[in-house]
Amino acid sequence: MSIDARVRAYWREEFSLIALLLLFFIAIVAFGYSLPFDARLFPVIIGCAGIVLTLAVALDQMRRHRADDVEAVDANDPAASAGWPRYATALLSAPAFGLLFWLFGFIIASFAAMLLIPTLMGYANRRRLLVTAVITVAVLAVIAPYLLNVELPQGVVGDWLIDKLALRAG
Amino acid sequence: MLDHLILGLTAALHLKQFLFMIAGTVIGLWVGVLPGLGGPVAMAILIPFTFSMDPLSALLMLASISVGAAFGGSITSILLNIPGEASSAATAYDGYPMAQQGKAKVAMGLSAGASLAAAIVGVMILMFASGPVAKAALAFSPAEYFALAILGLTVVSVAALGSTVKGLAMGALGLAMSLIGIDSILGVERYTFGFVYLLDGISFVPVMVGLFAITELISMILEGGTIAKAGKLEGSLWDGFRDTFRYPFTLIQSTAVGAFLGMIPGIGATAANFLAYSVAQRSSKHPERFGKGAPEGIIAPEASNNSCIPTSLIPALTLGIPGGATSAILLVAVTLQGLRPGPMLFTSNPELIWGFFMGLLIGAVMATILYLIMIPWFALITIVRIELMAPMLLIVTLFGAYANERNMMDVFVAIFFGLFGYFLRRHGYPLISLVIGLILGKLAEGSFHQALMISDHDYSVFFLRPLSASIFALCLVLVLWPGVKKRLGHGGAEVT
Repeated sequence: MSIDARVRAYWREEFSLIALLLLFFIAIVAFGYSLPFDARLFPVIIGCAGIVLTLAVALDQMRRHRADDVEAVDANDPAASAGWPRYATALLSAPAFGLLFWLFGFIIASFAAMLLIPTLMGYANRRRLLVTAVITVAVLAVIAPYLLNVELPQGVVGDWLIDKLALRAG
Repeated sequence: MLDHLILGLTAALHLKQFLFMIAGTVIGLWVGVLPGLGGPVAMAILIPFTFSMDPLSALLMLASISVGAAFGGSITSILLNIPGEASSAATAYDGYPMAQQGKAKVAMGLSAGASLAAAIVGVMILMFASGPVAKAALAFSPAEYFALAILGLTVVSVAALGSTVKGLAMGALGLAMSLIGIDSILGVERYTFGFVYLLDGISFVPVMVGLFAITELISMILEGGTIAKAGKLEGSLWDGFRDTFRYPFTLIQSTAVGAFLGMIPGIGATAANFLAYSVAQRSSKHPERFGKGAPEGIIAPEASNNSCIPTSLIPALTLGIPGGATSAILLVAVTLQGLRPGPMLFTSNPELIWGFFMGLLIGAVMATILYLIMIPWFALITIVRIELMAPMLLIVTLFGAYANERNMMDVFVAIFFGLFGYFLRRHGYPLISLVIGLILGKLAEGSFHQALMISDHDYSVFFLRPLSASIFALCLVLVLWPGVKKRLGHGGAEVT
């Protein structure tokens, strides 16, 4: 990514964050008004303080943006040197794992994460990857229910399949 | 006092507690070796697993992680010039040159000796200062508590790396997030929009897991490769350990710097580490040796960061005001165990408190022994491929978020805060202010309302009581000082 594109992306992200924060604080004040006085007093104070502080951040950032402050962009930011497949892997790994966890349960989601994330990051040793994935998932599958007393969820699809095929014990 | 010490020792020397401390110390030493993945990240990942433990075991394991990480952070600083922990960064200045001279083991011996001595002194200060502070805290009115909550937030925001205004905005965000759920004054629902999940408010655990662990994981995936190549170990650990005590002035001075800075919320071990190094250099007879492998250059930062950690627990345990990430996570653990941090904790749970203190003392000795035994093994983790480590950490982290309440929503909340936190951190918004705002929210609102009720809704109560007025004045000075300093032409250096 060229330095210009990086700077543009930086400011786009910065102002999006500011807008998000501003929206959140405005919502805190706006939705607080329907509450009884004692319940809304503190939220309104904090919300207003948040709006003022976010506006102060916005003004400061606008000043830096107008002054073409290139130093605002961190030269050592790993996101800048990473290609889009690596960037997408970094940002989407957790949401994709969460989705798989919810749909298909912990074991399948973990196994998929252990196999897919290293592959997407360019890891080539398939045998080591498979062994690591099997050991990691097996260790967690034993530790969770027996040592931590946490039943591993089968996921929405898993539960549906178990009910459909009448596999549930008892 | 002696009764308390015996009570604490009996509680801490229980086999179960002992095993949890060993586990915590080993985990801490390992994560301390990994750059970026410091003690708070490991504590955040493991906090859900402590839920089913008894309070003392949970606190001791988490505190042992922190102590272990402080020890472990110096390993890569010395061997590879890569600080495992931000609070060990200054150790690399003289540790790495010493390793280059073939004295890596001597440097690590120095680090172990200084860490042990300072940690013991830090825990002693924690033991003897906490009681009087807790007694004084009983005299505080709600107005003072509210002022202290705001002071804690202000100091953390001002001291955090980056812009003060961004820090304060993050503090406000944390406070605002703490308002979600059932209001503690009237019992009405606030900002839940009909979601049952939000009735109890936003849970600390998934937020911590997201902000500390997932954000770090994203950065790790982006960087890829290995953390470092393994270093060589030469020389004698024992020589270094013994040499520590040949510099008593540096050891005492740096321990005092760390212990003092630890008691001030928001300063933290990183600032203590650099400040102690700089003070040791200025007061040394041979300042020119610093940066070239001077033993004092290792003793000073290691002593300061290890005495800082226990004393940072004084405001957290006695007032419920966390001073940094480690004490914030410990406070969450205390709350999760159904206990309320503050002065009453000392009178209602003396066994827990004194057991915890004695456990910290034993933990410091244990961390030193384990550190000395396991040094060669720790360095190996730095050559594990991130491609393999990242998915493992992701799985364990999100499993931890789920295991806390067995609720899938916690997993999604952790993911949301992980992504949101990544962008916030990338743009210089200090995440620690957000966390401390979230933790202090309930205390701040509760004491704000109590103060108003006592004063019959007279808002001047916050400014007419001398103590709360002084605390608010201090907040104002802290916020305005960087700007004033800049105007006066002294620059605007900020404490990291």
